Amino acid sequence: MSTSGTVEMDAAGNAAFTASALCKVYRTGETEVHALRGVDLEIPAGEVLVLLGPSGSGKSTLLNILGGLDRASSGSLRYRGTELTDMGDAELTRFRRANVGFIFQFYNLIPSLTAEENVRLVTDIAEHPMAAEEALALVGLADRRHHYPAQLSGGEQQRVAVARAIAKQPGVLLCDEPTGALDSKTGVRVLETLAQANRDLGTTVVIITHNAGIAAMAHRVLHFLDGRIARMEVNAHPVSPAGLSW
Amino acid sequence: MKALDRKLLRDLWRLRGQVFAIALVLAAAAATFVMSMGVHRSLTETRDAYYARNHFADVFAGMTRAPRSVVARVAAIPGVQQAEGTIQQYATLDFPGRVVPVRALLNAVDEEGRDRLNRLTLRAGRLPQRGHPGEVVADEAFVKANALAIGSTVDALIHGRKQRLRIVGVGLAPNFIYALAPGDIIPDDSRFGVFWIGRKALEAATDRTEAINALSITLTRGASEADVIRAVDTVLAPYGGTGAYGRKDHLSNAFLDNELMQLNAMTRVIPPVFLLVAVFLVYIVLGRMIRTERAQIGLIKAFGYSDWAIGWHYLKFALAVALLATLMGAAAGIWMGSAMTRLYAQYYRFPFLDYRISPPVILGAAALSFAAAGLGALGGVRAAVALAPAEAMAPPPPPVYRAGTVERLGRAAGFSAIGHMIVRHIARWPGRSAITVLGVALSGGLLFATTQFLDSSRTMLDSFFFRAQRQDLTVTFIEPRNDDALFALAQIPGVLRVEPTRGVAAKIIRGNRSERAAIESARADAQLSVRIDRSGTAIALPPGGLMLSRQLADKLAVRAGDRVEVEMLGGRRTRLTLPVVSIVDEFIGERAYASEKTVDAIARDASPVGAALLRIDPAARARILMQLKDMPMVLGVTEKTAALEKFEQMIDDNMLTMIVFYIGFASAIAVGVVYNSARILYSERAHELATLRVLGYFRSEVGLVLLGELALLVVASVPLGCLIGYGMAQLMTAMFSSDLFRLPFAPSRASYGWSVVIVLLAAMGTAATVARRVQQLDMVRVLKARD
Repeated sequence: MSTSGTVEMDAAGNAAFTASALCKVYRTGETEVHALRGVDLEIPAGEVLVLLGPSGSGKSTLLNILGGLDRASSGSLRYRGTELTDMGDAELTRFRRANVGFIFQFYNLIPSLTAEENVRLVTDIAEHPMAAEEALALVGLADRRHHYPAQLSGGEQQRVAVARAIAKQPGVLLCDEPTGALDSKTGVRVLETLAQANRDLGTTVVIITHNAGIAAMAHRVLHFLDGRIARMEVNAHPVSPAGLSW
Repeated sequence: MKALDRKLLRDLWRLRGQVFAIALVLAAAAATFVMSMGVHRSLTETRDAYYARNHFADVFAGMTRAPRSVVARVAAIPGVQQAEGTIQQYATLDFPGRVVPVRALLNAVDEEGRDRLNRLTLRAGRLPQRGHPGEVVADEAFVKANALAIGSTVDALIHGRKQRLRIVGVGLAPNFIYALAPGDIIPDDSRFGVFWIGRKALEAATDRTEAINALSITLTRGASEADVIRAVDTVLAPYGGTGAYGRKDHLSNAFLDNELMQLNAMTRVIPPVFLLVAVFLVYIVLGRMIRTERAQIGLIKAFGYSDWAIGWHYLKFALAVALLATLMGAAAGIWMGSAMTRLYAQYYRFPFLDYRISPPVILGAAALSFAAAGLGALGGVRAAVALAPAEAMAPPPPPVYRAGTVERLGRAAGFSAIGHMIVRHIARWPGRSAITVLGVALSGGLLFATTQFLDSSRTMLDSFFFRAQRQDLTVTFIEPRNDDALFALAQIPGVLRVEPTRGVAAKIIRGNRSERAAIESARADAQLSVRIDRSGTAIALPPGGLMLSRQLADKLAVRAGDRVEVEMLGGRRTRLTLPVVSIVDEFIGERAYASEKTVDAIARDASPVGAALLRIDPAARARILMQLKDMPMVLGVTEKTAALEKFEQMIDDNMLTMIVFYIGFASAIAVGVVYNSARILYSERAHELATLRVLGYFRSEVGLVLLGELALLVVASVPLGCLIGYGMAQLMTAMFSSDLFRLPFAPSRASYGWSVVIVLLAAMGTAATVARRVQQLDMVRVLKARD
């Protein structure tokens, strides 16, 4: 498992993230939007966590704050014992570079780079990356590594995005609607790769989805409503993504 | 206001930075056009009005001495409308306490104001009165430069006699718009003045009662100038006529023509560069705008707007830029034109010279701006018109990237993924990349082509003042002298070396071409005056035959080895056929050279010394000048350092002002091109840049993706810019050369260097400004959207 020198191991336990009273307020002109209204949460390392909830319920805001793309307005967020809320832009960038892999609904591949080069974008700057070819082999795309995104199907593109996210061997994978643009069969393949990373590399995986079916692969499911965690379910027996369908 | 027009206004405002950057480049075109055409028009109109009002003559002739009755004979020549005789006499002036030599050209003027040609305009005071022989009108520039006023007196040595002159008027005349002392190449108002003195007084002072030594002639409409000149030469031959000549060879008029020709050349070379760049900029910006608004265009068409309405909407965007550019350019052009006209007024003596805002010039500038913007818009507008609604509303096909040759080389060099992104993006948009390279290259080229004029002038200066002329003083005599005069000069303490020079006025004829030129000679052992060619080497005088300056040889269409006919003007009017032995590349004037023996054979006179060159001990300068002032045989003394200072001052005044303008203009191109490329690049890549930030790239690293691409393009433009600059500079030096000056093409490395540095700074400064937008990248918002 990869941990950055800048992030210390949590002496107290094995939690990847510890959030307490996390709030996020967006101000647009006169109006204030409370996206998060005091979230308390602990995500143990190695957990697969699914966030469910309607649009605007705060799950994406939480994911962005966890990943260091955004900063909380108040409250505390620690990653392996290190406070993220006080970090400046450069420190957050360093945090992302070392610890976080992102996967988005619309892949966000660089169209001018081949599959392999898209992965190398990350391996060029990570501290202990796996080889780009190895990451692509993990998602089953070793033979398509010289293809440009425009030459790949949506599912393949998303798998390249997954390979790019796991190539740095991150502590945590943050996925925002990773299967949102894919059909069921392709979606399952992508989820399998995420589960594999969790299983083989011990990566903590947080998945936002509108698709309740996916919740079955999680250790825990959080239901968001109006900027708060409305409900939590613990899944004693997570199923393999291969068993999922929607 | 219609909804589409509202969209237009908002688009203009949204893209205001890019709109302004394009307008800046177009405005530079409009400004140079308005400036140079405006000044050209102002000068031409002023000159023509002045010439007409003061009856500037068409043909001029000089002679040793002729009876006044010759005027009537000349007037009777077919084609001559009016002829008027006068006396012109050089005099030396003595300002007490001043050692610097001062000369004046005295012109006879009718005391009752009845002169018909080259009429004097009185600025203040009155004409000299009959019976008051010392009264003179002095030219305005001389009066100002020497802090004189009406009522001031000056002691003059006229025709060997001392006389006190009293200034009773201040004036100017159309034959002295540009006033040069003999042998000078630049006016020096404090050392040379033009005076007008009563005719009777000048006749008495020069022993020319009822005689003249100069003639001015106007022609009837349709008369042949060449025929009249030939006839006048025949009439004047017995009186030592030195050859009649038309306006084009009239010194003052020729300098003015030269200036007008250069202004014209500037109008033809410089605005087109800006216009070309502006066409490209409008093309890429509008092209990008239409690509991003594809879906909107489809939607608007689906609502029922016609193709024509959509095309007109985008064309209006370009025309709005042109309107802004015309306003900015006209204002800047008028301002610069006024500044330039004020500068001209220092060198050219007009009774009035104002920069006149000329509506046709402004309209011309507007037409150019609108045409350039319209042309640039054509491609984009056509694409918008051709877009079918259904196709337009579907997302455009993804861009196809491929690894090019450069990259296959780069793979070996170990390109990073970022390196690939940069190189492939350049290759993906080859047209736009090429425009950026060409635009920045043109900016550098223009800057180089204009700044190298400084090198050109300095080379000319160096060749003329340091290599060819090695004397400190040139002493001209009242009339040609024999060796006694040289001996007398050599006796002055502090004079280190004295050498004679002489020049005879001659007409050189080859077939049906003929040119007036001075044939100059020096002794075989001469050290002070050397003929230097373009490469800086000294060329010996041929023992027999002629050496011609390149300028003169070109005009006569002769080459070394050809034979020409030489007719001496004045004196004995000898006619000889001589071989052209060699051609020498010189920068100033049209001249011919021959050995003393050859010149003696042409002139056949016994007083071969026309002027003397002196090398002196600098410590003795003041004493030597004082002594020269008291020698009756001395007409004038030219100091080399003074002429050099004047020349350098003119370069500083004139050229530096222009160069500052051009640094601004060239930077405007670089800024305009790079700003637009950078903004388009940024908008195209915002999504990718945000992705890189998410992946853990620092802002500075992300900024490098933008800066890296722009830097590559800018660096690629450097050699191209040098090449363009080289060609443009050669074209411009050729276009700016005239009968008076042949500008050398002698760019210094520093000029290349400065052009490159200034353009790089402007380009990369602009790129860095845009790259700072990386700070504002909203990672969250960008990633939510589909690319």
